[in-house]
Amino acid sequence: MSKPADTSDRTERNFEQVDPPIGWDGQTLYEMLEQSERQTEETGRYCGLDELEMKAEEPFEYEQLFSQLRGALVSARETALHVSASPIVREIGELCFQVYTPEGDCVALSTGIIVHVHTGSLAIKYMIEEDYEHDRGIQPGDIFCNNDNDLGNVHTTDVHTIVPIFEDGELIAWVDGVTHQVDIGGMTRGHDQLASTTRFEDGLYATCEKIGENDKIYQDWRDRCQRSVRTPMYWDLDEKCRLAGCHMIREAIKEMVDDVGADRFKQFMREAVEEGRQTLHSRVEERLFPGTYRDSSFMPVPFEDEAWKPQAKQDMLNHLPVEVEIDADGGIEFDMEGASPPGPHAYNCAEGAMEGGLWVSLTQCLLHDGKVNDGSYLAVDTNYPEGSIVNPQDPSLSYHTSWGSLMPTYNAFWKNVSRGFFARGFREEVVTGYSETGDPLQGGGKYEVTDEYFPVSPFEHSCQGLGASAVRDGLDHGYAMWNPESDMGDVEEWELIEWGLPFLARQMKPDTAGHGKYRGGSGWEGIRMVNNSADVSLYKHVVPGVGFTTSGMSGGYPNATNYSLRAHDTDIQERFENRDPYPVGDSPSGEFDEHIDGDIRRSEKGLYFPEEYENYDLVHYQMGGGPGYGDPLDRPVEKIKEDVEEGIYTPETVESVYGVVGEFDEDDREFTVDEDATERARDRLMEERREEAVDYEEFYESERERVSEGDVSEPAQWMYEGVFDISEEWAESFRDFWELPAEFTFEE
Amino acid sequence: MTDTFVVDENGEYTVGKAQTTPEYEAEGVVNSFQNALGYWDTTLEESTDTIRGTVYSGTAMLNRLLEREGEGDIGLITNRGFEDTHRFGRGIESWVDLPYSGRLHAREHEHPEPIVPRENIRGVRSRIDHLGQEMIPLYEGEVEEAVHDLLDRDVRVICVSLVYSYQNPEHEQRVREIAEEIIDERGADVPIWLSSEQNPVRGELPRVNSLILEAYAVEPSREQLYGIRDELEAEGADAPFRVLSSSGGTVSPDHDWLVETMISGPIGGIFGGEFLADKLGIDNLVCSDVGGTSFDVGLITEGHYPTRWDQSLAQFMVNIPMTAMDTIGSGTGSFVRVDRASNRLEVGPDSAGYLVGVANEESGLDTPTVTDCTAMLGYLNPEYFLGGKIDLDVDRAREYIEDQVADPLDQDPHETARGVLDIVERNMTNELNAMILGLGYSPENYHLTSYGGGGPLHAAGYTQSLDFKDVLIPDWAAAFSAFGCATADYAYRYDRSLDLVLQPDLSNAEQVAAALTDALTDLREQAVAAFERDGIDAEEMDFVPALRMQYTGMLDDLEVTLPGDIWNGELAADDLPDVIDVYEREFARVFQRAAQSPEQGYTITMGVGTGIAPSPSPALPEEEPGDETPPEAAGRGHRDIYWDGAWHEAALWEMNDLEAGNVVEGPAVVEAPATTMLVPPGFEAPLDEHRIFHLGET
Repeated sequence: MSKPADTSDRTERNFEQVDPPIGWDGQTLYEMLEQSERQTEETGRYCGLDELEMKAEEPFEYEQLFSQLRGALVSARETALHVSASPIVREIGELCFQVYTPEGDCVALSTGIIVHVHTGSLAIKYMIEEDYEHDRGIQPGDIFCNNDNDLGNVHTTDVHTIVPIFEDGELIAWVDGVTHQVDIGGMTRGHDQLASTTRFEDGLYATCEKIGENDKIYQDWRDRCQRSVRTPMYWDLDEKCRLAGCHMIREAIKEMVDDVGADRFKQFMREAVEEGRQTLHSRVEERLFPGTYRDSSFMPVPFEDEAWKPQAKQDMLNHLPVEVEIDADGGIEFDMEGASPPGPHAYNCAEGAMEGGLWVSLTQCLLHDGKVNDGSYLAVDTNYPEGSIVNPQDPSLSYHTSWGSLMPTYNAFWKNVSRGFFARGFREEVVTGYSETGDPLQGGGKYEVTDEYFPVSPFEHSCQGLGASAVRDGLDHGYAMWNPESDMGDVEEWELIEWGLPFLARQMKPDTAGHGKYRGGSGWEGIRMVNNSADVSLYKHVVPGVGFTTSGMSGGYPNATNYSLRAHDTDIQERFENRDPYPVGDSPSGEFDEHIDGDIRRSEKGLYFPEEYENYDLVHYQMGGGPGYGDPLDRPVEKIKEDVEEGIYTPETVESVYGVVGEFDEDDREFTVDEDATERARDRLMEERREEAVDYEEFYESERERVSEGDVSEPAQWMYEGVFDISEEWAESFRDFWELPAEFTFEE
Repeated sequence: MTDTFVVDENGEYTVGKAQTTPEYEAEGVVNSFQNALGYWDTTLEESTDTIRGTVYSGTAMLNRLLEREGEGDIGLITNRGFEDTHRFGRGIESWVDLPYSGRLHAREHEHPEPIVPRENIRGVRSRIDHLGQEMIPLYEGEVEEAVHDLLDRDVRVICVSLVYSYQNPEHEQRVREIAEEIIDERGADVPIWLSSEQNPVRGELPRVNSLILEAYAVEPSREQLYGIRDELEAEGADAPFRVLSSSGGTVSPDHDWLVETMISGPIGGIFGGEFLADKLGIDNLVCSDVGGTSFDVGLITEGHYPTRWDQSLAQFMVNIPMTAMDTIGSGTGSFVRVDRASNRLEVGPDSAGYLVGVANEESGLDTPTVTDCTAMLGYLNPEYFLGGKIDLDVDRAREYIEDQVADPLDQDPHETARGVLDIVERNMTNELNAMILGLGYSPENYHLTSYGGGGPLHAAGYTQSLDFKDVLIPDWAAAFSAFGCATADYAYRYDRSLDLVLQPDLSNAEQVAAALTDALTDLREQAVAAFERDGIDAEEMDFVPALRMQYTGMLDDLEVTLPGDIWNGELAADDLPDVIDVYEREFARVFQRAAQSPEQGYTITMGVGTGIAPSPSPALPEEEPGDETPPEAAGRGHRDIYWDGAWHEAALWEMNDLEAGNVVEGPAVVEAPATTMLVPPGFEAPLDEHRIFHLGET
């Protein structure tokens, strides 16, 4: 829930109130919020609704209202997309609209970046708690803007336009439109910065700011923003798009209110939220087996040799544990006790963003066919420990790339939920996880032909591999955890925006998919060349890089790690002239170097900070695969033959992991399996397993010895120290598990 | 089944049916033709000399794709490094055809199986950049190798699709030259197709897919089309045989590219609507079609229907220009259920289709449908459904609705059935409203026509809360889409991506005007050549030039037709302000005016040239209007219908026996073999001299 409001201050301000309250039935918004939170808290039901009267008595009218409201949101989004310009918004649909109750609880939302269902909610609650009603003023025609992560946002480049909707002097609802900006004017180019360590390097912030009235945006706000970002045209068009969409939805809601009357519309909104809450409980009860499920994700931050700021120059590892408790009545608890503290990096993540991540995950596995709104948020009892990286409560931190904590976390969540599904018999609903959509390529430059700046942030990365289920392989090149409608976009669209960075290739990347009886989805790779440009800088950060963020399930392997590869000062021009080959991939790894001469830089780290690029420099990037499920030795040979023929795995890999031996004719793409050799190889693998296996007791003892001696890597030590510092509860459970003395710490 | 719709110059029509003969379609077509003419007591032989034209619209090509029974052995040459474009499907292909819930449910997503296997795709190093400049030369040695490889693999066609070939086709053309030399040398006979010729439009995925579909699913039909033409000619018909295209208009089976004819069937109604609008002097008309599985809507605005690209076909993204039509998965066959977890009523998106519902006992269905609801409410005649071909057991429908829907919701069964229809019809209303508002208009600006088997039954429900000018229901509603096919013009449409930037100060107007003149002149010549091939003189052709434009920086364009006073065979620099004016008016209408952004200038993304030649068309029926009171002979007695919470005694009428001038007063049900029109209490439906009902509240 949002921060408790400082009520003493508000009471004083209330004395100054002159205008009539704008809440329902003569209440102020603050009174409404206080009442709804109290009633929800006391009864466990939204606003204390005993029953869903309208739904019970007029089920058809009620359903019609919901479909009408969602229809308005979806169609406003479609139309608004037409007027929006930024490549991310238009090409990838990075836009979402939500409607909220006066207290800021989401009733319905459009498609798009649905992770924002609850972030707008927090921003609205902040404005109510800070008494904007009497201080800043909330009037019909007002326009507010927020991208302050601490108050309700995912990361700095997501910008919200929030508009109140009035009916007869009462604020009947809010509408919020959010788009993802390609640039927000931070210390470096890009929409997910790598270099920033505090808020003061993140770029432009609007803190629930009033940016217009009478449906018109203030001139000073417009000028300030356009002068504060690197892509003023995109900023302008996206802002127009958000506002136009909000106004369309406002019109639609006014029509609905005219149609059914304000009282019934209010009743409908409340019931829709409560219904969302109840639906989640019924779904959980129906589909997840009760129990306590635990998993953990890790986020390596290998900054020692890379970071720019002294305080960030260390190799760090963030701990992202997730415990999910399911009870027999559909109750669900989500607990991250033991999460790392925030740090001098851009991966800090506010609570609202984490809530959004939870919600977007639930939507894809349990709620896709129900009413999707804040009811599901109310249905889950969450603990994002205050002062941790997943709820820092500190506006001075950098939140630019909060996804770096959010995305790995929900891999652990998916695995927990998958175990719940599996135990109930829903094997097909299992998702072993996904490849995080890090940023394989970001930056910008000046295109010499037009002398204009071009941003680089291709949202091709929305097409990663999805993990396997317990009955089938994962989806290849087609998944992003934050927006299930993934689309890598045509090259012919991207190059119209990123003029100076044309593509040399976009192709399958073998050996990215996590192994298993059911393999993960496959990733892919691309190469781009700097052309006709000056002042180009590019950077990269993707996970998993130096370490895995998650594992496979039931014997399946995690997805392959990513690496970085680029070539400066190349001979590619001569190659063009002589018709000599140039690289179109790096598969198998190292192939790239065979077709280019120059200063080739290859690193196992999935990141590098902004680097200058000259014309004819090459940059390689790849998208990851998904984790696998089950023992690879259980995968049928026929499937493995297909894997090789389709370029999912190389023959060398299937031999070493699956024990399948054969000859691959690349021209005909035919893999002929040598059955005898395969049998021998599989026997050998089994033999090796028998030789290497130790029993649990032995394993526990040897690991315990390492732990008690502090024999862990430096980043792991850094991680444990941090967690021990902020969570005595977690430290105790750790000591209990490893039977360590009460005074044990990792500090030297 | 193969349906034949024969219409005479007075608008009189007959419909014939025959078993489809997939091996040799001509046989089924001729049989169906004979069946139709049989109702007019004549035969094909007797009347071929009176046929003025035949328009074919079929699903054979689409079915070939859906069932994956097209012809393989397709070779593809693309840029080295881009061999996986077709297979990647941009990711979007894994979910694009799913409903809202499926889109959210990532676990359901699945890519379509590629049509061309990877081993038949060869990459050659080369690159044209986004300005059309050569960035990397064509590695001709790699081309030679690729062509030899593909020929060794016995491909029957080589498709060539290179990135940005629509901006500069030289590399594709050079690939063809090299390939043809090799083919000659080897004595092979393999055609080379270029994406820059089939459809020079931006988007390498839809471009390559469209070319592949042409080879896989479309070209195999060409022989079938020739077969039909030959059979008709053998019967003595010498009138043109044309194929309906999805962009509007008909083309000859000799047309270079037939992929545009792949999805023409469902949009016939929109051409019919355009014809009605033209004949009745209506500017803005909503065309709404209620079928068994879906509700389809197209808008004619100021006499024109918009065209779209970038749609999916059996999950494949294509760039086939297609008459814009929106579809929602609510039809008469949609299943009705209550979700156990949320206790919510759900309709569709899956459908019983031709099985109708549980009232059709033979269907074997055990989940009720929308039709079961309409049957329960007395709207359908159980003995006369589809002319009596299917018996409806209304009691059975009631039992299922009660048991599966009404009881779990604790509602009265009839109230439940009506509630289901309210939800379905409200969804239809929302769709109509959103489409119209999305174009910058409101329903008050439009007439609406309702057709398809279910249109007349649901029209009152889905139009009731919107203030359309008038609701038109032709008495041939069930055959309206087929009628529409017969009204389509002879037309060839050519598109070409241009991506010309017009500076905000118009400083490069001269250059842009010259480029536009060149492009439109080229497109016109293509249309002229197509008509000449069909034996139609260029003089008879009307050329309609259009541009797709956007504010620079925006990524979505609008199509604007250049009026005759701007285009007179060329464009000059001083015409451009007028072009901008046309665009800006269109923009302000479609989008919020606040979003206008002329600061960066304009981009002309595409030139569009359509050649239209006159074609024979049916006339609307004409009848002398008579009495308002329907003749007794048209009466079929009475039946109770449920509406607005009560039962009403409704008069029953036989549609075919009603006469022009009659006014059907609600509550009434008007029955015909293939459709039923509901006139609820408080409504009336006068029948005009063209046999069109005007359904409205009294």
